[in-house]
Amino acid sequence: MMAFNLAWRLFKHEARRGELTIILLAIILAVASVLSLSLFSERLQQALTDRSAEFIAADSQLRARAPVDPLWIEEASKYNLSTAFQLSTRSMVFAGDELALSDVRAVDAAYPLKGSVKLADIPFGEGIVTSQSVPAGEVWADSRLMQVLALNIGDEVEVGEAKLKVTQILSEIPDAGFSVFNTDPTLLMNQLDIEQTKITGPGSRVRYKYYFAGEPSDLDDYYNWLRPQMNREVHRWTSIEDDESAIGNSIARAEEFFLLASLLAIVLAAVSIAVAAQRFSQRHFDPVAIMKTLGAGKSMVRTIYLIQISFITLLGIMLGSIVGYLIQQAVAVGLQGQVEVALNTWYWRPLGIAVFTGVTCALLFSLYPLLQLFSVPPLRVLRRDISSTVSSKVLQFALSGGAVFLLMWVYSGNLKISGILFAGGIVLVASLLLMTHVLIIVGRKLGSGSMGAWTLAWARIRRRAMGNSVQLISFAITIMLLLVVLVMRNDLVKQWRDQLPEGTPNYFVANITEAQKEGLKEHFTANNVSYEKFYPVARGRFVAINDDKVRTDVTKEGEEAANDGRQGLGREANLSWTTVLQSGNEIVDGKWHDNWQEGEPVPLSVETEIAGRLNIELGDTLTFNLGSEIINAEVTSMRKVNWQTLQPNFFFVLHPKAMENFSATYITSFNLDESRKNEIAALMAPFASVTLFDVDARINQVREIIDQVSMAVEFILILVLVAGSLVLVAQVQASMDERLEELAILRTLGLKGISIRFSVINEFFIIGGVAGLMAALANEFSLYLLQTLVFQMPFSLHFEYWIIAPLVGALVVGLLGALSCWRLLSLNTAHLLRKMV
Amino acid sequence: MSQAPLMIETKNVTKKVTTNEGELQILHPISFQVKAGESVAVIGASGSGKSTLLGLLAGLDEVSTGEITLDGEPLHSLDEEQRARLRGEKVGFIFQSFMLVQSLTALENIMLPAEIAGLPNAKKLANDILVKVGLEHRAQHFPNQLSGGEQQRVAIARAFITNPKILFADEPTGNLDSVNSKKVEDLLFALNKNSDTTLILVTHDSQLSEKCDRQLRMTAGELVEQQPRLKVVSGD
Repeated sequence: MMAFNLAWRLFKHEARRGELTIILLAIILAVASVLSLSLFSERLQQALTDRSAEFIAADSQLRARAPVDPLWIEEASKYNLSTAFQLSTRSMVFAGDELALSDVRAVDAAYPLKGSVKLADIPFGEGIVTSQSVPAGEVWADSRLMQVLALNIGDEVEVGEAKLKVTQILSEIPDAGFSVFNTDPTLLMNQLDIEQTKITGPGSRVRYKYYFAGEPSDLDDYYNWLRPQMNREVHRWTSIEDDESAIGNSIARAEEFFLLASLLAIVLAAVSIAVAAQRFSQRHFDPVAIMKTLGAGKSMVRTIYLIQISFITLLGIMLGSIVGYLIQQAVAVGLQGQVEVALNTWYWRPLGIAVFTGVTCALLFSLYPLLQLFSVPPLRVLRRDISSTVSSKVLQFALSGGAVFLLMWVYSGNLKISGILFAGGIVLVASLLLMTHVLIIVGRKLGSGSMGAWTLAWARIRRRAMGNSVQLISFAITIMLLLVVLVMRNDLVKQWRDQLPEGTPNYFVANITEAQKEGLKEHFTANNVSYEKFYPVARGRFVAINDDKVRTDVTKEGEEAANDGRQGLGREANLSWTTVLQSGNEIVDGKWHDNWQEGEPVPLSVETEIAGRLNIELGDTLTFNLGSEIINAEVTSMRKVNWQTLQPNFFFVLHPKAMENFSATYITSFNLDESRKNEIAALMAPFASVTLFDVDARINQVREIIDQVSMAVEFILILVLVAGSLVLVAQVQASMDERLEELAILRTLGLKGISIRFSVINEFFIIGGVAGLMAALANEFSLYLLQTLVFQMPFSLHFEYWIIAPLVGALVVGLLGALSCWRLLSLNTAHLLRKMV
Repeated sequence: MSQAPLMIETKNVTKKVTTNEGELQILHPISFQVKAGESVAVIGASGSGKSTLLGLLAGLDEVSTGEITLDGEPLHSLDEEQRARLRGEKVGFIFQSFMLVQSLTALENIMLPAEIAGLPNAKKLANDILVKVGLEHRAQHFPNQLSGGEQQRVAIARAFITNPKILFADEPTGNLDSVNSKKVEDLLFALNKNSDTTLILVTHDSQLSEKCDRQLRMTAGELVEQQPRLKVVSGD
């Protein structure tokens, strides 16, 4: 009880007198930054996931080649899941004498569960959201079908044996997917009419999609129930997380960035707690020595300080949670309208992580300073130079490092990203220590001479070489962490935006014949339409690898491949041919076939992923069947393809020589400004037989999401910057304590205030500059690891930060030092001396 | 006085420390006795080993060789925890730099040893003694709000609150001006006399040392002279 009373009394007075401000701020910072970042990112991710769910019209889909047991769908309602259904097949649609092979989709009234169906007044007109579903006896035809079949609203079409009335022009369905090779127009109908069409008989290729929406945990539970009953050959479960499209990748990277930012925020918070705990410990050396002298045993001292640290931690966690919640709420409210954030949802996980972070940081980072504190001998009351009998850098680093790693691992649940950051951190600290010592030695010469402000500053840095090394490293790490987050944000956002630069093609044209090609080019030019390259395409059946017949299951699986900007390998593969490597393609193995010599086997370049899936290796001979002709080509290169670009990409690219006897069709794309959208029908009228795709809606969806993610990333960057700045303040504050004695002596000896101020400012200026330079170098190392190993991005050096970081480091640290120094030197000498006691 | 029991007895006490240059002997074998109620001044130049001796006698440090008995308890064979308990029960301290806990008020600083010793009425005792040192109006002030003389009076009050059998004072007036020094001296000796405490006083101040019953002079780690009555009983 005595220990509790004493601990409470010390806590109360010290808190009131502002002596706990730094350590309290550090814990508040740790908890607030982790809570705000993780709560905000959790909410944002939920919003983005919801948004992304629109692309599959549900949270999850069960795709099947045959109808599933109705009990499966009934069971879903027990898991509080809502369900919808779609049957799709390719079938001829007739209108009078016109006919078109169409993508016929029959849906129930619940479709879509996520996203919405849009209808247009005129073909290729602007889509308007509808809450209605297609009634029985009616169909909604998309603009292309309206165009191809020359339909008008109210016309009748024949689908199989059923006659159905066209009542709306379909502009957009959420899970339409996008493929320039999938040339069939879409027809949406009610599933009740399917039976009378009789198009689902034997031999028809019908696909069944069951849509599910609900809480993630319910979906997981349902999937766990369903999985044992599923047949891999027939059923496939997909979620938005499985999306490999530009959106899926952007969101996955954004999530990784949030994770990285939060991990770095934890490290920042940990650094600030370590600094503050060290300061707290040192300030209590005297009280501990006094208590021990007055008869307190080690265990009593231990109890008193553990209770006190518990009080501080508890208060820090409480205040940190409030501050963290307010920060993220302010950001979320500020972003309302720009980023869809689920404001009303509360997540317990971030709070749990924040509290865990606060407790772990406070305990593990305080442990070594506390061990030092507990070991302060009572003799210190007589000999002030004695501090602590515990001095093990290994123990200190083991405890601090262990705490950081534990937090990273617990928080990310990702051993890889934690391991990379941690290992990088260790190498960094070691290199920084070495660099610091070298720099301090180099600076020695500058420090000799007359007692100017610069000389005094260098002399001080040199004299406290070890202390300054630690300080430099902590400044450097803080600046580096900020740089990492800043540069990663810039690179990510740039990469996202680069996917969809201004003027990105919003229309694709396919099925252009050789005869139409030049005419279409001239037509585009005459109408001031900028178009992209014309890619030749031929459909060929992929039949053998080295004379071994290709298994049919491989080709069938290919048909089920993700549908966003990426064509799966079906029974027929789309072949293209060129000698110029397409942009976004990179040769990773073998040699591109631009130097082919007559007499050599026909060269072929294969996309790496499909090569892996089909076990294709360099030197293999692949056989394709084009009509009645057979083509044999040797694999001479493997290509890595950036599927995130909205441009046609090909699994197989041949040398033109191989195709000289085959007639090709071409595909191209062009951009038509929003203001000219109503010209599209007239523009393409002379080329009615080509197939036109309007991908504007798709592009806008992608752009919208990328903008939202980028905006959120900016705010997270700001949060991390604020956290980092507070750490810098804590560090300067802590190091100012160490300078107090010297300042008091210099002041007492009569050195002018201005000289002292300048020497301190110069000292911090030098430390900030050197720390900034080291941070810029360390930043490149960290980014190399992160971008190549975690984010799978190309790495490049960031030379601009080699200049910016030292300058900003010097200015910010110098300024903070100046402010702290100003406060101290505004006290009179007697006051200053008394503060030392 | 000669009938009084021994409060301190040292036998061939030495202190060695290890430095970068090797082992350094700070105290050469020292033996002397102090009787209960006696006041002894340890005098000598700076670096002569006075404070080291004080640290050993008070159980703040461990002897390298030799024996120290404090009120019948063999300090040299006690561990740190036992020495802490002994200090709490029998020893009071006054330091040149006051050594008050900066984040506790004057009253709380005085209560500290009583609380550590587990005395039930620490606050009352502290208030009483605060009156004796004339600082009752400063009870709720923090050390940095007190003058040097006031801080030392708080330290004296703190030293006496547990009625220690022995009081160690290290340059108690070293940081004070002459007026405050006089006040502190008077207070220290008055309380010492009233409570019949044994006093070991380390000082440079010859006037202060003369107020003690006896003086031990230290030079370069050796006890070279004992005044006025005791003879050096050990040494090289």
